[in-house]
Amino acid sequence: MTAANEEDLTRKQRREQAREERKAAEEAAAASDARQRRRTQLGGVAVIVIAAIVVILIATGGGGKSATKTVSKAETPKIAQEVSKELAGIPQSGRTIGNPNAPVTIQYFGDLECPICKDFSDKTGALPALIAGPVKEGKVKIEYLSLQTATREPEVFTTQQKAAYAAGLQKKAWEYIELFYNEQGAEDSGYVTEGYLQGLAQQVPGLNLAKWQADRNNPKFEAEIAADQQSANNNGLSGTPSFLIGKTGGALKKYEYSSLTDPKNFEEAIEAAAKG
Amino acid sequence: MSARTLRITLIVLTVVGIGLAAYLTYIHYANVKPLCGRGGGTCLKVQTSEYSKLAGVPVALMGLIGYVLILGTLLAPDEERWRFATVALTLGGFGFSAYLTYREVFSLEAICEYCVGSAVLMTILLCLSLWRFLRGGEPARQAAEPDPAAAERPAAAASA
Repeated sequence: MTAANEEDLTRKQRREQAREERKAAEEAAAASDARQRRRTQLGGVAVIVIAAIVVILIATGGGGKSATKTVSKAETPKIAQEVSKELAGIPQSGRTIGNPNAPVTIQYFGDLECPICKDFSDKTGALPALIAGPVKEGKVKIEYLSLQTATREPEVFTTQQKAAYAAGLQKKAWEYIELFYNEQGAEDSGYVTEGYLQGLAQQVPGLNLAKWQADRNNPKFEAEIAADQQSANNNGLSGTPSFLIGKTGGALKKYEYSSLTDPKNFEEAIEAAAKG
Repeated sequence: MSARTLRITLIVLTVVGIGLAAYLTYIHYANVKPLCGRGGGTCLKVQTSEYSKLAGVPVALMGLIGYVLILGTLLAPDEERWRFATVALTLGGFGFSAYLTYREVFSLEAICEYCVGSAVLMTILLCLSLWRFLRGGEPARQAAEPDPAAAERPAAAASA
């Protein structure tokens, strides 16, 4: 190897080394830029997410505890009046409301503490419209059955459902049921006390309180509640409200409702059941 | 952890999240009692509360849509923009989960096990997707780029 060759090689090596260093520096700068860009992008997204959460918090009523819609004592006479008006003139028998010879029967499985059932019973719900329409017209009768869902304690569940069934012996079960739903307290707040149950009974016009109190201990109600739960199990019902519908005296089928506030889907189901 | 393993882990966790959110969405629309601790009471309370919907849309459905979108970005080509989309969605999901957990603890004073499970899942997804995004693409991708030094070598040999 000549001196010129050696010198040329050294120059080439130096050039390559400088190129490598330049490349490494460029790569480091590019990586640093990329990191910076990613951090900026993440910061932007984080700001948007935080802003969105703040907006949601404000829109859903800020911080703190949920405002539970409890019914004040001053409101109860008005509610009782509305319930009486809703049910006036409609025949009742036990837990059934409507013409006993109605061609169609609906079995309504409910838990008196169930907030979704309350939505169904509310004045914006489908039930008052059904009672004012097809029930009053004698097209359908509705039977109330018990299915424990929202009530935590089985003893409380049985006691409250029995209270409604006992009112049924005086043909007032639906007054009691509708008052319970319309004056429902906050879930899991332990509002269902003896005082609460008696307070509802006092609001039912014409209810003989002494008889109601005595009837609450009737052992047949516990058997009926157990039978209701068994019927729900047999028909694959696990939530409330749930419904069975069909021709009176015939086999009832599970009804999958599309809305608890629009009575139309129930009316269509009633018509379909009447046609068989 | 290789980029492939990380991506598969994220996909598996997201599929679990889809399962959770799908179950909660089903519960919401079917009005059935959720299968969870203490008779499902607190779950039901959360599921039927005023916070179970946002602008009329069930939050469970929002979660389901979110998880499906995250899965979509994970199944897309392993490119920077999709990694960014994953991290942006998981960041949004994490923020929303934080809001819902706050509502459970401080407003409703009730805990839904499925919601907490989803929140934990979203937190893990966020951490992993952040790591994936910040570390960038595979080094192998850079090796595939043309080497300018190699390109100049024949020219240098010719001049020698």
